[in-house]
Amino acid sequence: MYRQGDILILQVTAESVPARLESAPRDARGRLVLALGEATGHAHAVPGPGTLLLSRASGLPEFLHLPDGGRLVHEEHATISLPKGWFRVVRQREYVPGAYHRYVAD
Amino acid sequence: MSTPVLHPRVAAHLADAAAEWDLAAHATGPADRSAAEEGVRAAYHAAGLREPRQIIWFASPAQAATAAVVLSGGAEARAAVRGSALLPPALLELNAGPLVRDLVRSTPWEKVRAEAASALTPTAWAAAWEFVGAGFWPQVNRLVGEIRRGIGRLTGEAGPAPARTAASHVQREPDDPVEGLLRRATLDAVLGQHDAPWLAFFDGLARASLIDIAPLDGVLRVSRAAGWWWPFEHVVLICERPAELRRDDLGRLHHAVGPALAFPDGFGLHAWHGMPVPAGFGATMADLSPAAIRRQDNAELRRVMLEHYGLDRYLRESGADAVHKDDTGVLWKADLADDEPLTMVEVVNSTPEPDGTYRTYFLRVPPWVTTARQGVAWTFDIPAEQYQPRRQT
Repeated sequence: MYRQGDILILQVTAESVPARLESAPRDARGRLVLALGEATGHAHAVPGPGTLLLSRASGLPEFLHLPDGGRLVHEEHATISLPKGWFRVVRQREYVPGAYHRYVAD
Repeated sequence: MSTPVLHPRVAAHLADAAAEWDLAAHATGPADRSAAEEGVRAAYHAAGLREPRQIIWFASPAQAATAAVVLSGGAEARAAVRGSALLPPALLELNAGPLVRDLVRSTPWEKVRAEAASALTPTAWAAAWEFVGAGFWPQVNRLVGEIRRGIGRLTGEAGPAPARTAASHVQREPDDPVEGLLRRATLDAVLGQHDAPWLAFFDGLARASLIDIAPLDGVLRVSRAAGWWWPFEHVVLICERPAELRRDDLGRLHHAVGPALAFPDGFGLHAWHGMPVPAGFGATMADLSPAAIRRQDNAELRRVMLEHYGLDRYLRESGADAVHKDDTGVLWKADLADDEPLTMVEVVNSTPEPDGTYRTYFLRVPPWVTTARQGVAWTFDIPAEQYQPRRQT
């Protein structure tokens, strides 16, 4: 389990990843963007090889495959080295009374 | 006593250069146009190019980036920005030729950098950079990043205000094609005054007679006199410096009333102690109340409001109690009239800010939460006992 700001990365088995998920496109700088800060525009991103899969329900990044391992970078947080394998990507949320929930807008 | 890695004479030259270039990086007011244009021509000569036929001035890097999209892009890019009010129509017909940034800036830059690398040991390089760049580089680099983002947002539906309400979207859509074009155009710019940290490094070493910076003479001259510029084979787009730049005592962009950075055409950035905020946010800070803070949906903006109001004061006035504390943070609860209790975890960012401080966040969690770990784990939708990050930053 790795945490970079409002993103939590959990290592999972390949078998637990649903089949036929859509891959997320890379951004203009060729990176896999796990989450983009709403206020700052800063991104949690993986610059190297790998695949990012989108959740069927939300359309947001949910699984990350790094066949050779990789690095999670962000403009304001230290870089985290990730081993090779499959990961679930969880974005931090916040409680709102009366609402369902929302994600932290950083 | 150990021998200093840098000779005191070299260190003194670096310090002088850093002080001068710090002023250049943060200079405001009209560009010295003739000095900048001479610098441009010198850079073209040094690159073995013909002088540009036209040097066109812009009031801001936002205008110039839009023009750069037109000049460097194909028909599609031109069509995308055709309606932009920022552009003189004549620009659409201009034949600028290809971008020659590599020849004008990057090749001589690399030559000087390689010379510096061979003149210094790796330790001395690090020491010299530390001497010049520590503090100066992160500030200028951050400013450049904010300007780039501001330019990228120009055409987005969000307008210039960076923060939207939480109800809108969980993620900002980064794929607006015009935003992409503009962002890319900002990467093609020579940064003029904002190349200052590196130029201070080279200049200091040159003053100490360790390297020759003649190949960068033109670039240095533009940087002392103007803002960002885009060198095309036949045409140069070049920008004025900001009309206004306001920073706090730590050098971060900050202004309570109006933009912290403003160019003569009105393009600007609003910021509160380095945090990008929507226009008008500063004015609301004058009469904050716990209720106003609770109403703020954006966690970052709420953090800024809380800091300004005073965390102790806020929690005292909300009648909050620290009900639990562990290595993940502190859990606070405050009873609210006609509402369920306000329950928040106070967490500290693991990565220090450029100024060495750590950001404190308050995240609202469900009222049934009883421990800080349970609260933090809930924000990631996992059970408390599972929340054990191996590494966090």
